[in-house]
Amino acid sequence: MRISALDREAGAEGIRRGQNLADARALVPGLTVMEMNPGLLETGFADFADWHSNASPLVAVMRDAAPFGDLVLDTTGVDHLFGGEKPMLGRLLTRLRALGYSVSGAIAPTIGAAWAFAHFAPNQVVDSLELADRLDDLPVAALRLTEKQLATLDQMGLYRIGDVRGRPRKSLQARFGASLLNRIDQAYGHISERMTPRLPPAEHYSERRFADPISRMEDVLATAADLAGALCQRLDAAGLGAQSFHLFLYRVDHKVMTFSVNSARVTRDPAHITALFSHRAERLAGDYDAGFGIDMIRLAASSLDALAAVQAGAFTEENGTADIDQLNDRMSSRLGTMAVLRMQLLESHLPERAARLVPVQAAGGMDDPELPRLTRPVRLLPEPERVLISAEVPDGLPAAMIWRGQRYRLVRAAGPERLGAEWWRRSERLQLVPPPVPRPPAPGEKPVPAPHVPALPMHDADGQTRDYYRVEDETGRRFWLFRLGLYGGPEMPVWYLHGLFQ
Amino acid sequence: MSTQNRHQRLAALRDIIADIERKPALAEARQRVASDQDGFPELPGGLLQEVYTDQSRNAGAALGFALAQAKALLTPRRMAVLYLQLVGETQNLGLPYGPGLVSFGFDPAALVLIRPANMAELLWAAEEALACRAVAAVIADICRPHKALDFTASRRLGLRAAEAGSSMFFLRYGSERQASAAHLRWHLMPGVSNDKPYDDRAPGNARWQVRLERGSIGKQHAQWLLEWTENGLSHIPSPHSTRPFAGSTLPRPVPALLADGLSQTA
Repeated sequence: MRISALDREAGAEGIRRGQNLADARALVPGLTVMEMNPGLLETGFADFADWHSNASPLVAVMRDAAPFGDLVLDTTGVDHLFGGEKPMLGRLLTRLRALGYSVSGAIAPTIGAAWAFAHFAPNQVVDSLELADRLDDLPVAALRLTEKQLATLDQMGLYRIGDVRGRPRKSLQARFGASLLNRIDQAYGHISERMTPRLPPAEHYSERRFADPISRMEDVLATAADLAGALCQRLDAAGLGAQSFHLFLYRVDHKVMTFSVNSARVTRDPAHITALFSHRAERLAGDYDAGFGIDMIRLAASSLDALAAVQAGAFTEENGTADIDQLNDRMSSRLGTMAVLRMQLLESHLPERAARLVPVQAAGGMDDPELPRLTRPVRLLPEPERVLISAEVPDGLPAAMIWRGQRYRLVRAAGPERLGAEWWRRSERLQLVPPPVPRPPAPGEKPVPAPHVPALPMHDADGQTRDYYRVEDETGRRFWLFRLGLYGGPEMPVWYLHGLFQ
Repeated sequence: MSTQNRHQRLAALRDIIADIERKPALAEARQRVASDQDGFPELPGGLLQEVYTDQSRNAGAALGFALAQAKALLTPRRMAVLYLQLVGETQNLGLPYGPGLVSFGFDPAALVLIRPANMAELLWAAEEALACRAVAAVIADICRPHKALDFTASRRLGLRAAEAGSSMFFLRYGSERQASAAHLRWHLMPGVSNDKPYDDRAPGNARWQVRLERGSIGKQHAQWLLEWTENGLSHIPSPHSTRPFAGSTLPRPVPALLADGLSQTA
């Protein structure tokens, strides 16, 4: 077992990273050792990273050197809020150190350079003019290289980045691979390197910071109402509306909670948005944990679309669609998106595929296909249930049924309606013609390789054919049965009940 | 004599006043229903109706009856019907099926399915839906009796329905009746269908026997045999009518008709 991370005091005692645990214990007898749980640390660090989006909306975890431990923030356009880059860096680092973290940071024009300075020349702000000079002085380990490349560079006597940069590129590439040149170019800014922000960037948002942290849900919702008003005014000025709204709650202890609501129509009505959030809050109940308090609340809008000014006049049509959409929004935000559904008719002859339930907010633009009107039951069971049937072989009408432990005498029946299996959907092999017998090659000819036959099961058309019957029992209950498979095949066919007629 | 008459009249008037005070929606509905037709009346919105049927295997019939009434309540302004069913009861009862609704005669685009997780959410959703002015009817499908569906909850929903003008249908199963403040309570049994014209053995149009257990809509009888066709609900009068038999009592010799339609006797 090896030491993978240690604090400053342990380092002062002479313990190094990668040292054997037994040796470390021998050096310092009273050493506190904890087993590292990498997965937990990664997710914890990711949550910790999300909290930093209150400083800048573009935050990412850099995984080049280690799965956790490196955070990159894009400060373009947000440093003025802190009074400059140096105050911003100072404030972030001070705050994290006050919480007990050992942290070092730097601001630089490129991601590679910022990483280099943060690890090897911390606590400075470098602008693009002096970037090249400062970078030249750093050791080569500041370039995020692999162990092998670092060992080879050390062997060759190249200790500073400036030494490596002056060499001819072709020979460097031949010796170390293209990644070395990439890293150099990224650090100096010749190649652009991008970071993928953890939270989606929102252009339109309004936020509020609190001097004292708040924790009650009512206060959060009241703030959300104010923020919705401010955001909607801004959207109104820009002529836009949005379909998704996200509420970010930044906690004091570096965690973020996110709530999202969706609306079926593009909207900028603050009352509607606030109602959706209060319904969403009722759904949370146990998940809401404010911890030590909430520091800042931000309301962001995404899925923006142009929305003209609404005119309420004498000629608006008396249609209920707007009311229904708002009702669906409220239901979806309270009960969940998969709890409010609409039926979509599809073109398929299999009954369970002919209709699909879609969330009602995603149902915009559903066209009604021109489908033939078939006699179908008004209720369909999600899973067809096995029944026992006595019927004449091979395709006589059913005469008696046992379903869920009860007997029914069927006095009327209509059918069969034969529905074949959808052979184009399953991964089964079709054999429409018998396979060709390869003829022996003539003398002097190369033998033709046999055609490739995939290792799939054969499609059994008869075994998956369904014969549907509409039956009625003596008291007037009407059912929809089907028989899977045909008589005369290798297996006995099975009967199922699929639906209930009106 | 006259005092007894007066007492009876006063008692009848008191009953009517109490009825109006307790259930204003039902009294208005009775006024609106035409009393000279013999068929099934077209009931207006704003009523809380319960449809009880004995077993869950009659679920299709119950849904058909509720949809038949809901279809009559759809207008361009009230364009949606909401169907609520608890998530755990889907395999027991089945969900409404799109092509089935099309063959029934109901537009599936007008139906919104809501699947709440528990009864509290179902009651919240029903109340929220009834309060919306663009909903024609709310159909709640409840398989098992539930403690939360007590008199208070149903009274609340009844008031909401009356004030908003949308109807609420509860589809319940079993022979026990829970206390509720429903305006109308139906007992539904499936009925044997008639013959189809070209196929003797096929099931015909759907038929239901409904009996009004509670509430009255101003008709003489409270039991109907309904048939659902593409023209709507029609009432089939029972074969035992109260009129005296108007035909002849003695059988007369009826001349046989030849294939060409000419009578043999003159």
